[in-house]
Amino acid sequence: MVARTVTHALVGLDPCRVEVEAHLESGVPTFAIVGLADRACQEAKHRVRSGIRSAELEFPRRRRITVNLAPADLRKEGSGFDLPIALALLGASHQLPAANLAGHAAVGELALDGRLRPVPGALVAAEGARRAGLERLVCAAESGAEVALAGVRPVPVRHLVEAVAYFRGEHDAPSPPPPVERAERAPPDLADVRGQERARRALEIAAAGSHNLLLAGPPGVGKSMLARRLAGILPPLEDDAALEVTRIHSVAGLLPPGAGLLRTPPFRAPHHGASAAAVIGGGPSPRPGEVTLAHRGVLLLDELPEFSRALLEALRQPLEDGVVAVARVGGRALFPARFQLVASMNLCPCGARGDPAAECNCSPVQLDRYRERLSRALLDRFDLVLALPRPRAAELAGGRGEASTAVRERVVAARVRPAHRLRLEQPAAALLDRAVERLPLSGRGRARVVRVAHTIAALAAADVVQADHLAEALSYRSPAELHVA
Amino acid sequence: MNELALAAFAAAADLHATDRETRSTRFARFAEQFDSTSYLHDLASRGIRWLARSDGGFPRRLRAIHDPPPGVFVRGAADLALLDRAAVAVVGARSCTDYGARVARQLGCELAAAGVVVVSGLARGIDGYAHRGALDARGATVAVLGCGIDRDYPRAHTQLAAQITSGSGLVVSEYPPGVAPAPWRFPARNRVVAGLAVATVVVEARERSGALITADLALEEGREVMAVPGEITSALSHGTNALLRLGAVPVTCADDVLEAIGVEPAARPRDEPPPGAPAVVLAAIDDGARTADELVRATGLAADEVAAALTELELASFVTAAAGVYRR
Repeated sequence: MVARTVTHALVGLDPCRVEVEAHLESGVPTFAIVGLADRACQEAKHRVRSGIRSAELEFPRRRRITVNLAPADLRKEGSGFDLPIALALLGASHQLPAANLAGHAAVGELALDGRLRPVPGALVAAEGARRAGLERLVCAAESGAEVALAGVRPVPVRHLVEAVAYFRGEHDAPSPPPPVERAERAPPDLADVRGQERARRALEIAAAGSHNLLLAGPPGVGKSMLARRLAGILPPLEDDAALEVTRIHSVAGLLPPGAGLLRTPPFRAPHHGASAAAVIGGGPSPRPGEVTLAHRGVLLLDELPEFSRALLEALRQPLEDGVVAVARVGGRALFPARFQLVASMNLCPCGARGDPAAECNCSPVQLDRYRERLSRALLDRFDLVLALPRPRAAELAGGRGEASTAVRERVVAARVRPAHRLRLEQPAAALLDRAVERLPLSGRGRARVVRVAHTIAALAAADVVQADHLAEALSYRSPAELHVA
Repeated sequence: MNELALAAFAAAADLHATDRETRSTRFARFAEQFDSTSYLHDLASRGIRWLARSDGGFPRRLRAIHDPPPGVFVRGAADLALLDRAAVAVVGARSCTDYGARVARQLGCELAAAGVVVVSGLARGIDGYAHRGALDARGATVAVLGCGIDRDYPRAHTQLAAQITSGSGLVVSEYPPGVAPAPWRFPARNRVVAGLAVATVVVEARERSGALITADLALEEGREVMAVPGEITSALSHGTNALLRLGAVPVTCADDVLEAIGVEPAARPRDEPPPGAPAVVLAAIDDGARTADELVRATGLAADEVAAALTELELASFVTAAAGVYRR
């Protein structure tokens, strides 16, 4: 007797339809799972056996059990196959009407007591189900809200017994619990920053134009503090972007249980010891890295020159294309990675440069070596570069700054204006020509300045880019201190 | 006496070229074998000129020191008469502060603009900035090497050396091609730096430094020694401040130097800053505000207005920025 259920395996961020077939025949009792199942998936045998018994159902006795996961040549990973395997087995052993399994997909991990646990990527599995024309997805209760986002009707169950009862027609699908309104931990607020008018202004411009931002200065001037406050002044994600971000976080297993759509732009800050695979994405079977987790949000690289050179160079591709292509033996995947890069660094290895109270002891060779860690090409990716000198004590005694919500309102207003279509006013064009003549400004640097000037004009609600906007944009070009002499 | 042979011999034997060496039998043997015609031909093919001490064109001031080199090798297209023009050596620490770099560059620029030749050692730090300043003014500058004339040392200054030789400057060395830089050659190089110049200006120097050796050598030859005052708490100012205490002439601007060597300063009309915000910001900088944030507070202007004004001032060369600190 054969029974079938459908589930979806993850390939990168995309679902791949997998048919789970269970076949029973009399003979010496064995339980085999075939179809390139990995270790976690092979161990499903034990969870399924215990889960079925705990649910006071019968695990087929004196039977040869074969479970096939088709297509057979696709590598199956993880524990999400537990539920479909259990359902197929129960169907094959006539404990529930196998015909009722049609039109359903299933995903979830079984606990030994038969309870259902959520698995990463439930949202992607639900999208697969929708594309496959399946109307319902049986999943753990915690995944209900996530599954509903894909336009598939979730059948959220807490225990295998509930799933069986549903398929026996004993009761209808439980309605999915409403998304948990988490008391979201508010991102740090700009009101905490005292003084630092210039850096605050640069943050606002960066947020309004999605510009990459580099903060350079001695330790302790508040570079990281400022950088961490960028996410809080970004506008909330729109529907498409929110779904995309939620999908990525679902696959990475970072979605809080019961959460619905993620509306806050993600903020990721990998440590400088992180491997290239962890940041860019990769692994034996491709998994999204930090750049993908920061998609549509902010990637903060604190102490930029401390990251490995290979990693920094690998960042250039996603910075340019907004996607990461990861090719591995286990498969090839394209991960979206359209993130806003914020980085901080000292001006020299000892950190005293830019600090009037300290004396830099770095030799010229040490300085050159430090600067060489950042290639010209990488520095060129930062639209805004800011040297932050150490503030005097008097500034820090000042009052609290403007709050993030007020800044965000201006950012949102600027974003809806079509900034790139603005015209350069004649005095602005003349100023740009003068600057190109006087300053070491490359072609790319010039384009960068113009881009920033457009954002500044949009923030000012101007109809044209004025000379003042361009002059301000010029003040955020990368200072000579960051380049090898 | 064959001065070219002496220079080549000293290089081959790793010796300091003095007239005493010419009396040794080793030199006699060397000189016998030495073919100066083909050597000069080889130099010429590499674009290197040789100026012997006995040559009438040899710089008079350099000939006047007590231990002049047998001659100098010269790279660069400029007229050799350049070496006899009024010249000032601008020297200092290799690891300098932003302040020192700025002062060296500005001095180099203003001295060159007044027609003075800026002499230095092509080293990192102060030396390099002095050369760059002179190039900024499209003026004349002479770089004295402590290694063979065919080398650019330090390597990081290859481009700078190229700018000097292709412009109105010269690179000179008492060492023939192929001589590697060695620690003992740098003090020897410094005597040439001091010897070529009427006056030596030390911009930044630690207590024991090569720049102070140059100053000592200049003093021994009776040349003017001047120093740029620095913060008394900075180790990089200990050397210069010690010179001042000993009676060196303090340098607060290029005109101080020009006055000391008797050169008329070039007339520089002081420009007015652009009216409006730039003028207000510049006034605040003159009152001691240093960073953009301090300027915001001092002027009452918004951060974006200050940023725009600072760019205007930078483009018009009223202020320079280093590590987020703005100075006039």
